[in-house]
Amino acid sequence: MNEEWNIGTREAEPGNRRWRMGIFLVCAGLVLLAVMVSGILLDGAAAETDFSRKNLAPVTGHLFGTDWMGRDMLARTLAGLSLSIRIGILTAAVSAAVALVLGTVSAVGGRKADAVISWCIDLVMGIPHILLVMLISLTFGKGVAGVTAGVALSHWASLARVIRGEILQLRQAPYILTAQKLGVSRMRIAARHMFPHVFPQFLTGLILLFPHAILHESGVTFLGFGLAPEQPAIGVILSESMQYLTTGKWWLALFPGLSLVLVVVLFAMAGERVRKLTDPASFHE
Amino acid sequence: MSRKYTAVLLSAALALSAAFAASGCGRGSEGTGAAARTSAQAAEQRARSGEVVVAMDPNSEPAAGFDPAYGWGAGEHVHEPLIQSTLTVTNPDLTIGYDLATDYSVSEDGLTWTVTIRDDVSFTDGEPLTAEDVAFTYNTVKASSSVSDFTMLDYAEAADDRTVVFHMNRPFSIWPYTMAVTGIVPEHAYDSATYGASPIGSGRYILKQWDRGQQVILEANPDYYGGEPLMKKVTILFMEEDAAFLAAQAGQVDLAYTSATYSDQQIEGYSLASYATVDNRGFNLPAVPEQTDAQGRTVGNDLTADVRVRRAINMGIDRQEMIDHVLNGYGSPAYSVCDQMPWYSEASEVEHDPEGAAALLDEAGWKTGDDGVREKDGVKAELNLLYSAGDSVRQALAADFADQLGDLGISCTLEGMGWDTAYDRALSDPLIWGWGAHTPMELYNIYHTAAGSDWALYSPYASDAVDRYMDQALAQNDLETSYQLWRQAQWDGTEGVTWEGDIPWVWLVNIDHLYWVRDGLQVAEQKIHPHGHGWSVVNNVDQWTWKG
Repeated sequence: MNEEWNIGTREAEPGNRRWRMGIFLVCAGLVLLAVMVSGILLDGAAAETDFSRKNLAPVTGHLFGTDWMGRDMLARTLAGLSLSIRIGILTAAVSAAVALVLGTVSAVGGRKADAVISWCIDLVMGIPHILLVMLISLTFGKGVAGVTAGVALSHWASLARVIRGEILQLRQAPYILTAQKLGVSRMRIAARHMFPHVFPQFLTGLILLFPHAILHESGVTFLGFGLAPEQPAIGVILSESMQYLTTGKWWLALFPGLSLVLVVVLFAMAGERVRKLTDPASFHE
Repeated sequence: MSRKYTAVLLSAALALSAAFAASGCGRGSEGTGAAARTSAQAAEQRARSGEVVVAMDPNSEPAAGFDPAYGWGAGEHVHEPLIQSTLTVTNPDLTIGYDLATDYSVSEDGLTWTVTIRDDVSFTDGEPLTAEDVAFTYNTVKASSSVSDFTMLDYAEAADDRTVVFHMNRPFSIWPYTMAVTGIVPEHAYDSATYGASPIGSGRYILKQWDRGQQVILEANPDYYGGEPLMKKVTILFMEEDAAFLAAQAGQVDLAYTSATYSDQQIEGYSLASYATVDNRGFNLPAVPEQTDAQGRTVGNDLTADVRVRRAINMGIDRQEMIDHVLNGYGSPAYSVCDQMPWYSEASEVEHDPEGAAALLDEAGWKTGDDGVREKDGVKAELNLLYSAGDSVRQALAADFADQLGDLGISCTLEGMGWDTAYDRALSDPLIWGWGAHTPMELYNIYHTAAGSDWALYSPYASDAVDRYMDQALAQNDLETSYQLWRQAQWDGTEGVTWEGDIPWVWLVNIDHLYWVRDGLQVAEQKIHPHGHGWSVVNNVDQWTWKG
């Protein structure tokens, strides 16, 4: 009786779980998309100052309160998160492209090409991340261009390393060796036999780049090496709020900080679920 | 994957703890009741023995020590050097009085200054202070100074023990104002490598202790030749604004600098003191059309090149509204770089007149478009306002200025930046500056055509008439006459830099300097504070007292 019951749940679970995960992914995607779009629409409102309503604690109309120049904190938070997400998307795109190219080269090219690639990866990973982001951001003259370049150009290494490791393993796999012996071209092997195999890792790694990119964007801005103070950015909001904490203006830090955490958690959870859904090892869990 | 969650959790914890710290700070003062009681006892002790603890901005700490040759007292933020004596002093009305000097005179051609000094003054190591020391000081300062301009001085020499003679390269009628901030160092005990950290002077106070990055302790000079300092020991703590506020809340300091951000707070046992300043904020308005200069920089601005636009901006700004909005009322309208100084021209004052401003803009051809933004020949009236990133007051002033210009039909964007780029960018875009010094030289620095250039140093503008008056003012050998000429440089009835004239800079507000002052501490009457919210307040700390 008991065993039957257990078997029953086990059989019922996969479908349910996959379904729940799917729902979660769609919801998370929608929430993030909504934040991004509303942020873009609110960009003007976020910068609008109105000194007649400065330093308001959260009230209806200004759910997150207002700051010392009477800017609506909800609009600023949404605009800031939106900017973060957009920078995250760009980072993901750049990192994906770089990782894909390097992965292909190490699959198609020989031992020497692989050595060069792993040297490049080590080089970038050898420098502390936040320092690298700051350096690149400064070189590009700070601001949106600087931060975007800094975050985008520093995050590809981890993804590229994962892909390279997978491909290194794959090169010795019997079916790849067989294909080689059968005379299939290297490019074709990479495209037909290797890419589908590494795709789950690739996708998961890509999504998990987002929280990293967002935290680094706000981090470098918080430290003053990123976006300019008039731009709506979470890092700017949080570093400004530090000045006002001693006078008890808690809403300036709390809501933007929580929102940032929420977005980052959403991305991280989505990444986990995508991994479980696409990874052959857990596909049938 | 768990690492990523750790990062997320950490940041969540940070945000939460920050918020709790904020909401908890109101209760903090009760929670540390015992500590507050001890600090109250310490304060009573200080009151009995004539001691005071002052919290000052960390930027006020002199990086190179207390050496007049490296900017102590002079430089960007002028104040009295306290540890050293000066030849002259500035009086409460900013005219010139005497400290070491007993008399001074200047030759007809303005090239030789002769100063006689007191004979009863000794350095704190017991050696008498002679004219040799004075000459040595000025020659040293000229040779080594990086922050103060001494190019007008050729050399100084001691004619006898009590007479020092300054030979000038060019006439410089306001030399007494330079003498008022140059502390005299002892020739026999001066070593530029060590003097900054262990200065010997003849001033009201002796440097007892200096813990870099933390505090400076000054003790009254028992052999001071002037009136005996009433405050026997002065401790200066360097702390950030929020730390200074918390220190006052905890009762650990007797006087703490603060800003308008905190002005709506209450601290038990303290009152908020506000001192008038000439610490002004204003925008430069580039007065030439946009072009590229020899160094490849963009110079000039097509909109503000029209004098009618500049006059309209100056007239259309409601300064009082700005003070109420941004400074919580702690400020005064600024009409020039030198409001209320002896060399200030009252012709600078302008009425707030939005209709007049609109009429001027219409006259200049800038007609209001459908979106409320003025246009001329298809070009929109737009300005990009610059401010130094990290200064929230300047940012807010710039934002309010932008709002007000928006009402006039000039659409503005804001851009924050560091000082590394701001100077060059200000040649073509208005930047919000802070000035205000106890010397008319500032007028010269801002409005006079720079040497080797077609325009003034900070913002492109040139006027022969203004240059001429200032050159004449410097060539005078009488201060009173020179004040008159400085005033004429601002407005002579037909030309100048005021609202009726070229108005190449628009001045907005003078920011009051705010302090938390412990009840019972009697701060002596303050001179109008110059730019820099630092040492000026303790200029006369020797005359402060405790009541009761």
